[in-house]
Formats: sequence, structure tokens, C-alpha cells
Amino acid sequence: MKDTILDIKDLNIHFFTEDGIVEAVNGLNINIKKGETLGLVGETGAGKTTTALSILDLVPMPPGKIISGEITLDGIDIINASEKEMEKIRGKIVSMIFQDPMTALNPVIKVIDQISEAIIIHQNLDKEKAEEKAIEMLELVGIPRDRRNEYPHQFSGGMKQRVIIAIALSCSPKLLIADEPTTALDVTIQAQVLKLMKELKDKFEMSMIMITHDLGVVVEVCDYVAIMYAGRIVEQGTLEDIFRRTKHPYTEGLFNSIPNIDNRKEKLKPIKGLMSDPYDLPKGCNFCDRCDYVMRICEEEAPEKIFFSDEHFVECHLYSKDKSYNLSDHDL
Amino acid sequence: MSEIILEVKRLKKYFDTPKGQLHAVDDINFSIEKGKTLGLVGESGCGKSTTGRVILRLLEATGGEVIYKGRNVHEISNKEMRELRKEMQIIFQDPFSSLDPRMTVSEIIEEPIKLNKIIVNKEERFKRVLELMDLVGLSRRLINVYPHELDGGRRQRIGIARALSLNTEFIVCDEPVSALDVSIQAQILNLLDELQEKLGLTFIFITHDLSVVNHFSDDIAVMYLGKLVEKASAEELFENPIHPYTKALLSAIPRPTLDRKVEKIILKGEITSPINPKKVCRFADRCNFAEDICRNTEPHLEEVAPDHFVSCHIFKA
Repeated sequence: MKDTILDIKDLNIHFFTEDGIVEAVNGLNINIKKGETLGLVGETGAGKTTTALSILDLVPMPPGKIISGEITLDGIDIINASEKEMEKIRGKIVSMIFQDPMTALNPVIKVIDQISEAIIIHQNLDKEKAEEKAIEMLELVGIPRDRRNEYPHQFSGGMKQRVIIAIALSCSPKLLIADEPTTALDVTIQAQVLKLMKELKDKFEMSMIMITHDLGVVVEVCDYVAIMYAGRIVEQGTLEDIFRRTKHPYTEGLFNSIPNIDNRKEKLKPIKGLMSDPYDLPKGCNFCDRCDYVMRICEEEAPEKIFFSDEHFVECHLYSKDKSYNLSDHDL
Repeated sequence: MSEIILEVKRLKKYFDTPKGQLHAVDDINFSIEKGKTLGLVGESGCGKSTTGRVILRLLEATGGEVIYKGRNVHEISNKEMRELRKEMQIIFQDPFSSLDPRMTVSEIIEEPIKLNKIIVNKEERFKRVLELMDLVGLSRRLINVYPHELDGGRRQRIGIARALSLNTEFIVCDEPVSALDVSIQAQILNLLDELQEKLGLTFIFITHDLSVVNHFSDDIAVMYLGKLVEKASAEELFENPIHPYTKALLSAIPRPTLDRKVEKIILKGEITSPINPKKVCRFADRCNFAEDICRNTEPHLEEVAPDHFVSCHIFKA
């Protein structure tokens, strides 16, 4: 049995705004063990980033509020930790890589100093030693050491993201949260960065949460996948479960929306409509107004979790009576 | 043989910068038949958007010709150009910044019809707006709302309605779906597909996303640093890519399947500077096959198979 690094239990986060209450994260459970990568997949507004920020205790409060739930990171109770304790946790036990490498770096500080900052704070090293370590990190992510005294604007997008990866990994965190780390990059650069992340993850035996909307990226790096919709994980399982034994109609819809690069004749089958208004989620299943398989019960009752194995579950009424129900049998 | 609607000949667009001349588009040639789609593919900075804008004369060309229905867009008078703009339109990438935030949906769609005096009667114009809204799948109840009240997919539908509001025959679609979520992206792609069939439109589809372009295009042209490096029918290009850059680009796409593991070609380095480029192969620095000739001589687009053009010294047989 591997050690659990992150355990989130029944997390609920709401935002109290002038226009009403947004139920951003609802009844979320996540468990990540050492060395595992979880892909958190969903569209804009699904609650992926809010979930990630809650692990770092960075959800803006107010307007945000954790209504209930537990977040245990490497044995530490995050929700009840003081700000002082959190400062020791962020960057050391958990690090985050943000989507936009253009804005995540300080434009007026040399890259080497931005990397050593975290090392000085967390590892009690003097400036010289920290700089040595920072140069090591720079070379590890594939940037030659003679560029260490340059400023972020002298770097391209891919290089900036490498610098950010170097900062995030400089104190060997146990958990790395990557929020759409390659979305802003070109495909050939994306391929370079993903390869680098995989190598470093193995090297440091890190756990990782990969937030993405791209199922192609999921295949490349993830062991487990959680599909989020309107603040809930609607389906979760191993990579194989999600890709070969797709259960939730939303997961199926995501797959059908992607143009198949190996079959250009195939017609796209988009998910109809739009994501529900987060101020006014449907009473029953959040997905019911866009679902092709909708039944009466879906509009009235929120579905319970139904397990197909220890790891694979879905929140959908289709399976409440008959677990062997098959989406492809349905006549569309 | 169907009719060629647009022909681009030796088109060049250079920008003067403090560091020298930036060759954004450098001597490219292609043509499009009526009712077809040409996909223009490449990464940031390859010149694909500039090409689209020069074709519509939103930017003046540095050299070369853009022949639309027999007339050189860059030689006709401004008055003639205004007439031509009724047929040639553009859809922009960002539906958040391309719509005037202080106009309602109906005003936005109506504006080009009014300005170009297509329909002078106010009531008939309003009817046309409703017709266009139906055509692009915008609910009529949204007629008086402002863009900020709408999501990206609906805003992009407004952009499409506006582009169709004149006697449009030809549209440059500049990354029309890259700002949208996948489920919405599929809705817009299907809409563009239907409209093309219904109205016989001709598209240039500019994108960095090869899976989108494969789904959508008849022909594909791949750009790298202002040059066309490969051009073929979509089928041919995906089945039988020849240029090392095209191959790397195709292999780099993360595929959402467990079944087909494609060997990834990881390119070294990053795109080089397009300022004062030397007369050599611009891809040579990143190419795994580059030889001396690539670093000394500039390759040209050559036909290596019927209708399949490649610009490469090494792979041309």
C-alpha cells in the first residue's frame, strides 16, 4: 500500500457574490497516492481551478467560503492550518504551475533570483548555495546556465514555462499541481514541456494533479482521471476506465466533441446547449438539461455515486438499476 | 475543373522593425476553388494570420498579388475595394474583443447591412437580422442583449452572423474556435460546416490545431516562419506527410486515445527569428535531418506527387 499524499473528503466551496451564491465545488472527493498523477478534466467553470487553489488554501475568502469538507495534505489539515503554517507548506510540500507563463513570473527580477527565492525561504540556505541549487534546477529543465541572469521578457513562452517548472520543483514538493501548463504553448513546444514534466515527475517520485481540458494531454501523463462538471466529479476512474469503459454521458460528449484526427469524415457530435448557470444549478442532476439520455428522475433527484470497481465511479441515474447499462446501446 | 475564386501569387509582407526587416509572409503561393476550404496551419509567429489579413487588404502587401475573381485586390481603387468587401469577410479568434460592447446583438448584426446600404428599409433590415440569427442558431430572444451577457460560443455566432450579413462568398476564419471550450467548439465547427454547404461559401481556415483543420479542410498549407513548407489535400497530408516539420507537428498532437501510440518526434529548440532571415532553409536549425545544403541554400516548393508540394532539400523524391 502506497502512502496517501492528498486526501480530500466531501469538499464544498461556495462563493457569495452580489448576484447570488455560486456553488463552485460540491461534494468533491479526491485521493492521490505517492507518485500518482490525477487528471482533473472539465470545461471553463467546472471548478477545476477552485479545487486546486483550495489545496494551497488560496481560494479568495471572501467571497469564497469552504462550507464543509476536509483536505489532508501529507498528513496536514489544510483547512485549519494557520497562514504561517501554510507559508511553510506552499512551495515545499505542494507547488503549483499556472497556465499563463507570461504573467506568472516577475518581469523585473532575474530568473535566477526568482528560482533561488523559494530555495532560500524553504531550505535555509545562504544566497550563494541557493544560487548553486537554482542553477542546477535551471539546467535540469533544459536552460543553459549562461542565461541565468536574464529577465523573463528575454525568454520565449516555452522557456518561461520551464523556468516556472524549475521554481515549482526547486524544493522537491510531494505534490505538484499543474493548471493547464501547456495550453498557452504551441504543439511542438507542448510536446517538449510534457516530456520534461513526465521525466521530472518520475525522477522526484512526485504526485501530480494535472488540470486540463485536453483529453489528449490526459493520455500522455495521467494514471487516474476525474471528469468535473458544474463543481462535481461526475466520473472518475483509471485512464483505462475513462477511455475504454466510458460511463457518464458528459464524458462521452467530451470525446464526441473532439475532431478525430485519424478519421476526418466522422461528424462531430457536440453536447447540446451550454453549461448551467452556476447561480442556478438544476435541482436534480447538473447535466440533465444537456444530456441525450435524460429521464424524469434526472430532473428531480441528484444522482448518487455508483461504483463499478474500487476506483471507477459515476454519478448518473442510468446505472442506478442496471450497472451493465451501455451508452452505445442507446439509440440516438 | 471548378472555378478558382482566389489566387495568391508570390505574396510578401514585411514589417520594418528597429532590429531589421521582419519577413512575416515571404513569397507564398496558393489558390482556392469556389466552395472549398483551405486550412492554413502553423504555430505562433509563422505568418498565418498576417496572410489572412493581407488577402483581405487589411494590411498592404509588400509584394505579390492576391487575385480574387480575376481582380488584384491590392491594385483596385478604394471604392472598388469597398464593393469587394461585401463579398470578402473575416471571423476573428476572440469573440470577447471583436464585438462592440456598447451595441446590442441586433445592432451589431445590422450595422454592416446599414452601412453598405444593402437593405435601406428599416423593417426589412430587421427581418434580415432575424433571418441571420436563425441561420446561425441564435435565439431571437437575445436580440436586445449586449455581448457581455453572452458566452463565447454565442458571441462567436454573432461574429459569424455579421460576416454573413452582406453578399458574402469568401470568409477568412482566423482561429474561430480556439478560444472556446471543446463542447462549444464542436457546435461552432458544425455550424460553419452547414453554412458552407447551404451558402456555397469559400473558407480560408487559419488555425494552429491540426485536428480541427483535418476535420474541416479540403486542402492544407503548412507554414513555418513566413514560408509555405508543404501543401496538399487534407487526406494526402495526413496520410503521407513529407516535410520534417509537418511530420513533427502531426506527431506532437496529443491524441485522446489509448489505442494508437504514435512515435513522438520531439523537435529541438524553438522557432527562430523572422527578422532579416538568411537565404537558407528556415527550419534547418530544428530539423533532425538537416545537411549542409539546408544551411546554405533556400529550398523551394516543388511538386513531389500530384498536387502535393514540399519545400525541402532532403525529402523531395
